[in-house]
Amino acid sequence: MSFLQFNNVEYSYVGGDDELIQALKSVSFSIERGEFVALVGCNGSGKSTLARLCNGLLTPDSGEVLVDGKSTKEKSALFDIRKKIGVVFQNPDNQMVTTIVEDDVAFGPENLGLPPEQIRERVDWALRSVGMSEHATSGPFRLSGGQKQRVAIAGVLAIKPELMILDEATGMLDPNGRREVLDVVKKLNRDEGMAVIMITHFMEEAAAADRIIVLNNGSVVADGGKELFSTPEVFEAAGLDLPLYVRLARRLNDGGIGVGCPLTADEFAAAVAAISAKGGKK
Amino acid sequence: MIEVKNLSFTYSPKTPFTTQALFDVNLKIETGDFFGIIGSTGAGKSTLVSHFNALTKIQKHSGAIIIDDMDLSAKKVNLKKLRAKVGMVFQYPEHQLFADTVLKDVMFGPKNLGVSSAEAEQRARDAIALVGLDCKEIAERSPFELSGGQKRRVALAGVIAMHPEILVLDEPTAGLDPKGKREIMDLILRIKADCPTVVMISHNMDEIAEYCNKIAVLKHGRVMGVFSPRELFGSEELLSNCGVELPLVTELAVKLNALGVGVDKSVLTETELYEEIKKAVTENA
Amino acid sequence: MRDVSMGQYYPASSFVHRADPRFKLVILILYLVTVFFCDSFFSFGFMTLFVLITILLSRVPILKVLKSLRLIIVILVFTTVLMMVFYSDATAKPLAEWGIFHIYLNGIYAAIKLGWRLMLLVLMPTVLTLTSTPTELCDGLESLLTPLKVLHFPVHELALIMSIALRLIPSLIEETDKIVNAQRARGAAFESRNPFKKIKAMIPVLIPLFVSSFRRADELADAMDSRCYRGAKGRTRMKKLKAKFSDFVALLFWCAITVCILFLNYNWFGWAFIAAISL
Repeated sequence: MSFLQFNNVEYSYVGGDDELIQALKSVSFSIERGEFVALVGCNGSGKSTLARLCNGLLTPDSGEVLVDGKSTKEKSALFDIRKKIGVVFQNPDNQMVTTIVEDDVAFGPENLGLPPEQIRERVDWALRSVGMSEHATSGPFRLSGGQKQRVAIAGVLAIKPELMILDEATGMLDPNGRREVLDVVKKLNRDEGMAVIMITHFMEEAAAADRIIVLNNGSVVADGGKELFSTPEVFEAAGLDLPLYVRLARRLNDGGIGVGCPLTADEFAAAVAAISAKGGKK
Repeated sequence: MIEVKNLSFTYSPKTPFTTQALFDVNLKIETGDFFGIIGSTGAGKSTLVSHFNALTKIQKHSGAIIIDDMDLSAKKVNLKKLRAKVGMVFQYPEHQLFADTVLKDVMFGPKNLGVSSAEAEQRARDAIALVGLDCKEIAERSPFELSGGQKRRVALAGVIAMHPEILVLDEPTAGLDPKGKREIMDLILRIKADCPTVVMISHNMDEIAEYCNKIAVLKHGRVMGVFSPRELFGSEELLSNCGVELPLVTELAVKLNALGVGVDKSVLTETELYEEIKKAVTENA
Repeated sequence: MRDVSMGQYYPASSFVHRADPRFKLVILILYLVTVFFCDSFFSFGFMTLFVLITILLSRVPILKVLKSLRLIIVILVFTTVLMMVFYSDATAKPLAEWGIFHIYLNGIYAAIKLGWRLMLLVLMPTVLTLTSTPTELCDGLESLLTPLKVLHFPVHELALIMSIALRLIPSLIEETDKIVNAQRARGAAFESRNPFKKIKAMIPVLIPLFVSSFRRADELADAMDSRCYRGAKGRTRMKKLKAKFSDFVALLFWCAITVCILFLNYNWFGWAFIAAISL
């Protein structure tokens, strides 16, 4: 059985005009342990609702969300589910509970009821993993956006979840901060084997993932590896941009310069270099 | 025209927490410019532009700012006149919406300027239409019921309705998805037809490269220089000196050059890069 | 912006800084009670001496401590003067009089004592806040209130609320600042002298502030839920307050001072002396 499973999940909420807005329509997919998944979609596609359904902050109107076989509808299972799935939210300022970095990271393990020495260990480990050890005793106000978000990641990490969901966690950061966060997440996936769902609309970020799920108007419209970039219509229909190199590759292909379908910027450059060396002929 | 002369600014002067945010800044923003201000977080960008509207007062002996015929370092500044002239759009401007209807919210600015109710309403309706919203449909709705993108447009309309001659934008596309970003940038170009001078702070180098005709680089409160986009993004030396991120197109152009594809590194848009690649490949043929 | 969450904490490495916040709080209460018992100039002098010793031990510049008196100096002078001019003593002859004002020698004494007492009452809490962070005080208070849990008093929740408040107040101040600036840029005038106009002018600030506060609260609640929060149930703490030997010594010391003051006041020294002789 998969680690996280969505079975025909439907979810609606009451919008501003008292009309019912259907945020998710019959969504089904599953995530295995250790996967690195990008969940992409434009604003209003239901991405954030989906994140909140994963750990039972919201429960589906119909269908079910299973975490390690347990449904999020069962109140008694929620604590265990949240131990297994951590969520990092968009605004770094609204996730910190205390005024000191290490105390905040300790909040999760404290809730688990661990003995103090073990909490200390986890806090130190989590801060080291995100590269924030030297700021352990500082207040959040001296930190940059990227650093704050890394602290938030450490706070989730200290619970030792098996899956970390980043709900547009880079949305409010500058390019430096975005890179910091992305590097940390990649490292956690690689070294700790932690599964990651990265919710984003930055396609360059999504390209770092092994698998991409495209959400449009509350439905999963595509789910696959980077080969999805070879069917760009899917992304365009979902109101998303393709990564720059994919857009250029398409135009070049259309213009008679066959560069194929590169999956990274480096592949693109290599393909162009190869064709340029051959003199523009296929 | 905005002329900044030897402007310095210090936060909490004469306390242990004093920090100098701006050091001897000199800039000239001319009418018709689409002026970009870039620099990492904490470089002093926001502090600088908040002076343009006298939201931050120029400290004693810390330089001057002249906006057309107004000297902002003077003892008495006509704030009403200044704020009618310089429109400010802050980061996440939708967070400042407050009225119970969209129309009232957009009318807030013009009414503060002393414009009659009838005219304020007319201006508001025009502004709402200009930002691409259906005035009939939306005017009487609560701004809090709108979607994120719509809210931001309403907030923009609230500034446009004041008929500014200079528009200052602090990261106007932050937090929007790609489509939303494009729409807002298109909208800014539309606004520029009536409000000739636009000053934009942004972390998005792709937008800066594509839209601005002059770019000031700030680093640790100092102006590293004012460049044309081609000058700045075409020179790797300049970029690394100023600590500027590469736009995606430049990044790709640099990669191509490293592999021996001779494309011009000072390309600013996707189309330009496409043309360059095409040229480079066919020239080899 | 000055970081509110740090209060007026003055970072330094000293015996007073390192002391257990619970003991500091208990000592403060003991001290405040003792000051109320002080009656003679000698006892005031006695207390002042120990306050000065504490300040010296804390390594906080004495000027920094005295600055905290600046805020209450007006009240201090005002009450002292009032005390002086309205003191009435039927048995003594006034030193001077103007109309309804009479100044007696005892009145002057009483006024000086009042001022001195007020000063003492302000000084020590200042030393406490200069040498402990709000977080420490919060933890100390939570720990001291723990016995109230028996009475179903929500000690944990109270402490958490205080901690979150400390965390969010600076964000809210920053947010207010941003909104005020945004509305000023739209021509809003907050400088009006008319109080009604002023309140009306605040609406464009207050409403966005409320909206954003609720949004913050929602997001924070989600983040806390996601991090396995379920109230005090089964929750442990990473940092346990640990009383050191020196904390007990300090407490004993201040108990001794209290006893001394009581003796001085009620002339227990005299009685003890008589008792000793008669034995």
